[in-house]
Amino acid sequence: MGMRIEADVTRGNAITIIVDGEALPAFAGETVATAMLAAGRQVFRADTGGKPRGLYCNMGTCSECLVTIVASGRRVRACLTEAVDGMEIATRG
Amino acid sequence: MADTFDVVIIGGGPAGQAAALALALAGHGLAIAVIDEPPRPGGQILRQPPAPFAVSNWLPGRSYDGLKAQLARFEALEGISWLGGHSAIGLVREADGLVVQASGQDGLRRLVARRVLVAAGCQDLAVPLPGWTLPGVYAAGGIQAFIKSQQIVPGERVLLAGTHPLMLLIGAQIVAAGGTLAGVLFAQPRQTMIANALRHATAAAAHAGNLAAAASAMKVLAGAGVAVRFDTALTAAIGNSQVEGARTAAGDIACNAIGLCYGFVPQSTLPRMAGARVQTAGPAGGWATVADGWGQSSVPGLFVAGETTGVAGAPAAMAAGEMAGIGIAHSLGLIDASEAQHRAGPARRRHARLLGFARMLDAVADPTGYLPAPTPDTLACRCEDVDFATIDQAIATGGSANAVKLATRCGMGACQGRNCEPTLLRRMATAGRTDDTGFTQRFPARPVAIGDLAD
Repeated sequence: MGMRIEADVTRGNAITIIVDGEALPAFAGETVATAMLAAGRQVFRADTGGKPRGLYCNMGTCSECLVTIVASGRRVRACLTEAVDGMEIATRG
Repeated sequence: MADTFDVVIIGGGPAGQAAALALALAGHGLAIAVIDEPPRPGGQILRQPPAPFAVSNWLPGRSYDGLKAQLARFEALEGISWLGGHSAIGLVREADGLVVQASGQDGLRRLVARRVLVAAGCQDLAVPLPGWTLPGVYAAGGIQAFIKSQQIVPGERVLLAGTHPLMLLIGAQIVAAGGTLAGVLFAQPRQTMIANALRHATAAAAHAGNLAAAASAMKVLAGAGVAVRFDTALTAAIGNSQVEGARTAAGDIACNAIGLCYGFVPQSTLPRMAGARVQTAGPAGGWATVADGWGQSSVPGLFVAGETTGVAGAPAAMAAGEMAGIGIAHSLGLIDASEAQHRAGPARRRHARLLGFARMLDAVADPTGYLPAPTPDTLACRCEDVDFATIDQAIATGGSANAVKLATRCGMGACQGRNCEPTLLRRMATAGRTDDTGFTQRFPARPVAIGDLAD
């Protein structure tokens, strides 16, 4: 599980995103990846063998964290995509 | 939608910022666009917290001070079109200039420019080992980026393993963030690191500050009771559905996140796509774009700076970016040759000095001979799930990297081969084939919606 750093940090407004139907608490400005990891969701997709796969590079290079924005159907990299209140994400896409 | 600029800079890190600042100084009214993927400038070295965050005492330490001062100057610069949240996915020379395709939330933008500077930085060398596709195995730079920007430590017990001394700094940052380290493992013996440093003793003496930073990081780690081990190779990540531990030469270590830190390779997709000449980069692999002393590549109008020309660190990138900005200004006729030489003098001298340190670091961090051994079922290509048995079989038939890609799909996935190309080329070199030029770089450099391409 990811641990939000508390010392010296003031975050944006509390928001909620929905990942695979589960509501996850997040803060304005966080990436989808951060909201997922902080909620203990390390799995961003399954590979062709059905094995769970996580985020790897966290800088937009490897595309391991591709998830789907449900409303638009867009596949986006969770490490670069800002979480927006009410945003719905699917990891099976 | 087409936008026309005098200069498009790809990368908002130290090199891109320095170039923009030098250009702004040389020519008022220049139309300059700077593109980067994060919403805010800074690059990976200064990956900024999100705008709604306030972080006091962000990235303390003298090594960041000069970089932060430049970032502040860049952010105060007026008249720059900042295209944060955009990925440069294509770069080609056409009749009307250099064309950059930029992909953002609202679709594609076609940017036409008289000059383009690629200052796209580097990436962690992707290091396949048994279990490396388990959730919880990260590129160490990715862990560091979480701490710098998102203010999160992605794991309750983090193990850092590899050959690069950057692990000491990342480890100290994890400790400072209140995180817990399971250990820092250097695969190479301490004596080897020292001997390699001593071969570059002059550079070491000239950069005592960097060595002091490493020593102070060691002190932080010791204070937190973190074991820093040498001659201790990571051999596998273990776990069922996520990382539960690490198999190492010193036995199994419990952890739920592993950061792999064996060095860095230039982001070379765009210059190669545009046809620029490249050469093999440092000991970690990858391709460095060849450039003259002003950053001009072999493609007319296409300039490169910073890690794109070979990984040498952020201060060197800053100096190279300034030289490229001045070089571009000269090539546009804004300043004459002697003025360009004069302006670039200090940056050029700084750059030469910093390169000495970079070569020392290359030698100390050299992963050659210390990379973990994959098993036949270890995935070489994470995107297309291609294992080592499969690529070895294809290599044995004698084909090129492109042929292996066609035969196995290794390199055909969403990362466009950025992770697996160094792996494949190392594997081919082991089989005696050292002259392969790697995958042909194709559009798009980053994943993009088909609908955006059709619009």
